[in-house]
Amino acid sequence: MTAKRKFNIGDRVSVVDKTTLFHHRTQKFTRGQSGVVTEYRPEWVIPEDEAFDPAGNGRKEPFYIVRFKQDDLWPDYTGHHIDTLETEFSESWLEPATSKGKR
Amino acid sequence: MSTRHDGHGHGEAPGEFQIATKVSEFEILELAVRELAIEKGLFSAEDHRKFAEWADGIGPHGGSKLVAKAWVDPEFKQRLLADGTKACLEVGIDWLQPTGSGTPSDYTFFYVLENTPKLHNVIVCTLCSCYPRPVLGMSPDWYRTPNYRRRMVRRPREVLAEFGLHLPEDVELRVHDSNQKSRFMVMPMRPEGTEGWSEKQLAEIVTRDTMIGVALPAPNRKSDTKTETLVSGGRRR
Amino acid sequence: MSAAPTTYDVLMDTLSDIGERTDAGMGCLEHEPAVWESRMQATCEALSSHGVLDNLERRLAEDRLGESVYARFPVQTRSTLVVTHLLMDQKVFTEEELRKRIEVVRDRFAEE
Repeated sequence: MTAKRKFNIGDRVSVVDKTTLFHHRTQKFTRGQSGVVTEYRPEWVIPEDEAFDPAGNGRKEPFYIVRFKQDDLWPDYTGHHIDTLETEFSESWLEPATSKGKR
Repeated sequence: MSTRHDGHGHGEAPGEFQIATKVSEFEILELAVRELAIEKGLFSAEDHRKFAEWADGIGPHGGSKLVAKAWVDPEFKQRLLADGTKACLEVGIDWLQPTGSGTPSDYTFFYVLENTPKLHNVIVCTLCSCYPRPVLGMSPDWYRTPNYRRRMVRRPREVLAEFGLHLPEDVELRVHDSNQKSRFMVMPMRPEGTEGWSEKQLAEIVTRDTMIGVALPAPNRKSDTKTETLVSGGRRR
Repeated sequence: MSAAPTTYDVLMDTLSDIGERTDAGMGCLEHEPAVWESRMQATCEALSSHGVLDNLERRLAEDRLGESVYARFPVQTRSTLVVTHLLMDQKVFTEEELRKRIEVVRDRFAEE
């Protein structure tokens, strides 16, 4: 609970576009995309470890909710510019945003 | 729904079900698989009973109660938005049930998303079918289909339109993809025309779909049923 | 996942009882759950909590098999079909064992 978090609410972050053979829960459509941290979520065993050890003894990381602009996620987005999408990441899937999104 | 009898025996439910109907193959299959699993030691009959009782007790009525209470009690609303899991205890919903640590698919981090005149929330789980079961019960079939899951993130306004919900351009549509441990429920806005209603009356219009975010509550809308929803395939008893 | 999945006649045969999937759009995909569906969910939870079949693995298999081998079945049958399918794949019980048990259960229902 008292883990030192790498990111703060309001930080602009990018989702790491790493390939992994391990179990994870990071959607393809978020990889390499940039958004803003909106909420802290409790520290928990990361999915990469949890799948193999349901008892909960795996590595833990803080989690974050990140908000994306739909226009950034989908080049052909059919909704409106103000529309957003939020989803959750463990800390190691995030890095400080380097640019204003890749598109 | 909950008035139906258990799969252990058939036709025994008191009253309305005394007409003997054909037992479905799936009723038989379910029981056969369960018995084999228990015999092979995969789990015990007691384990199954515990989960079955829990499954029978959950449903959208839990979420409806939360929302209705929040509409009439601003302090409860604040507690609900601040700590959803904890506030649930006030209406008798314990996210730690039935195991003491929740179920394998319902984590205990529950968050309520408040709709406002400028923001509309909707929930989806693109990776599988995470759903706030302790407050909404089992997810509807469509929620689990790839059709809904793929399109709700990509073309959410189109999907909402298919549900009959058209949002103005200046309302931010925010899709929540519950891919990890958090479980979400939408708290819709209290509609006009419900002034002076009791909590119980209000709860009746807070239907499942309004808490998923694919519909809005209205004074005369007490069911999500669209056109006497068909029983998709399958003979009903 | 690349090899074609096994098919089990004992499961495919249930199609004639439940009937073909009839839904086209999402609006139609709704029905009042039967008791066996809820009991099956309890089985899924029991299997997952004992580490036999993780819920996420099951859900992914439901997507995979539900859109292929069992594409003609109504959506609410997926958990039952897929869990049974996977347990047979894992050799927890054989198709023959299941057939026998189905007959035992059927007879029991007939007696009541």
